[in-house]
Amino acid sequence: MSVALDVKVDEAIDDSFDPFELQDTVTGDIRDPYPRMAELRRQGAVHVGHIDFTGSDPGVAPVDTGQPPPVSVFGHDEVVIALRDDKTYSSTVYEGIMGAVMGKTILQMDAPHHKLQRALVSPAFRSRVLERWEGGLVRSVVDDLIDGFAHRGHADLVRELTFGFPVRVIARILGLPMEDYPKFQQWTMELISVAANWERGMAASETLGAYLTAIIDQRRCRPADDLISDLVVTEVDGEKLGDEDILAFLRLLLPAGVETTYRATGNLLFGLLQHRDQLDAVRHDRSLFAPAFEESLRWEPPVTLILRRTLKDTELGGVAIPANTDVGLFLGGANRDERRYTNPEVFDVFREAQQHVGFGFGVHMCLGMHLARMESRVAVNALFDRFEDIHLDMSRGDDPHIHGMAFRSPTSLPVTFPVP
Amino acid sequence: MTLQIRINGDKCMGSGNCVFWAPGAFDLNDDGLSVVLEPAQADESQLFQAREGCPTGAISLWRDGVEVDPR
Repeated sequence: MSVALDVKVDEAIDDSFDPFELQDTVTGDIRDPYPRMAELRRQGAVHVGHIDFTGSDPGVAPVDTGQPPPVSVFGHDEVVIALRDDKTYSSTVYEGIMGAVMGKTILQMDAPHHKLQRALVSPAFRSRVLERWEGGLVRSVVDDLIDGFAHRGHADLVRELTFGFPVRVIARILGLPMEDYPKFQQWTMELISVAANWERGMAASETLGAYLTAIIDQRRCRPADDLISDLVVTEVDGEKLGDEDILAFLRLLLPAGVETTYRATGNLLFGLLQHRDQLDAVRHDRSLFAPAFEESLRWEPPVTLILRRTLKDTELGGVAIPANTDVGLFLGGANRDERRYTNPEVFDVFREAQQHVGFGFGVHMCLGMHLARMESRVAVNALFDRFEDIHLDMSRGDDPHIHGMAFRSPTSLPVTFPVP
Repeated sequence: MTLQIRINGDKCMGSGNCVFWAPGAFDLNDDGLSVVLEPAQADESQLFQAREGCPTGAISLWRDGVEVDPR
């Protein structure tokens, strides 16, 4: 089944398009921001003023915007306090760039609109509802990708597995026709990379909008077994979602549902592959998957930074913060707070389970966390089921390492395995 | 004396994280909000993890009518 559209979705895919290259230009190659975060946290959990992580700060005086100097938060308890206090720390700071690209999404809303809109979309993301996607959809997407390299005895799991599977899962959950998947993946990656290429990202946002609007219209007439059909009929307290709301939410799902899962799964695999004893333990006792994934989210959260803007004068960690201050909440800093975690720099799936902020916290906590947990579990289980042994092969690839600042994940995961 | 679990319905956002940390003690109702299962099947450490893992701080734990280690 194809979709009748005003936009030309049948245009040939640009052969030179490498979504991975586009993707990887976004965050820069900051290898390890954690020592600097730890140093800053030891000075104080809350810092006022600009902080340079790149070591290449040109030293240009900041433009006077009339706003108070920005604040950065590196302590666990302080980050939790701010994320739980949405009356003081507003998400409207995301209205600028994110709003321009995606429309008005729940990411940038405060109460009461946020609560209502989230309630409308959240039923589709409950863990019990997601079970129906696990065996048929997610596992078969993962198996298809593994089929592409299983005969070879080696692979780069970033390019050949983690990068490709969440976008296909989301496309199916949305109910897109399978022949549209390559185009959908390209638009998705261009939209996500909008910070690297503004014009291309905005064009992709527009094209996706036209494409998805046609599908929304179609589902209003003929509902099917998919998320878009659920969204057009869902109702809370007599309120329904309008087309603009649905469109904004669908656009938000791309960075939120595709990029984060790909990065988080890569970080987990990197942690496990670097620690053979832990990988073997999880392989032999799959009930260890849950603590292992949570530990990877603590150790290397795919999104390291959340922004808020204060609506009133406040105080955090003994530091006065005036109204209208941009506050950077470093999830990565919070997750490695030595006041809370023993040996926080160490990846250890056996550590005592403790809540972390790898999925954020407060009313905006990741809506897709149960989907992410399931997708990542299915991918790792499939690798264990299909290969008796799997090794990180540092002789292949170019010095694989986790990199990035706002978003972090491995540059590559070169592995070798016995051909089944 | 076992722990009693209370959920503040005004704060609960239905994240489902309590179900993740202590699946034998919590479930989501038809409105997507957290409910306590009776009898709750969870050890105390799971209950403390669920309380701490609640994104909105909607869970409190009580013993003999006194809140345990209130935050």
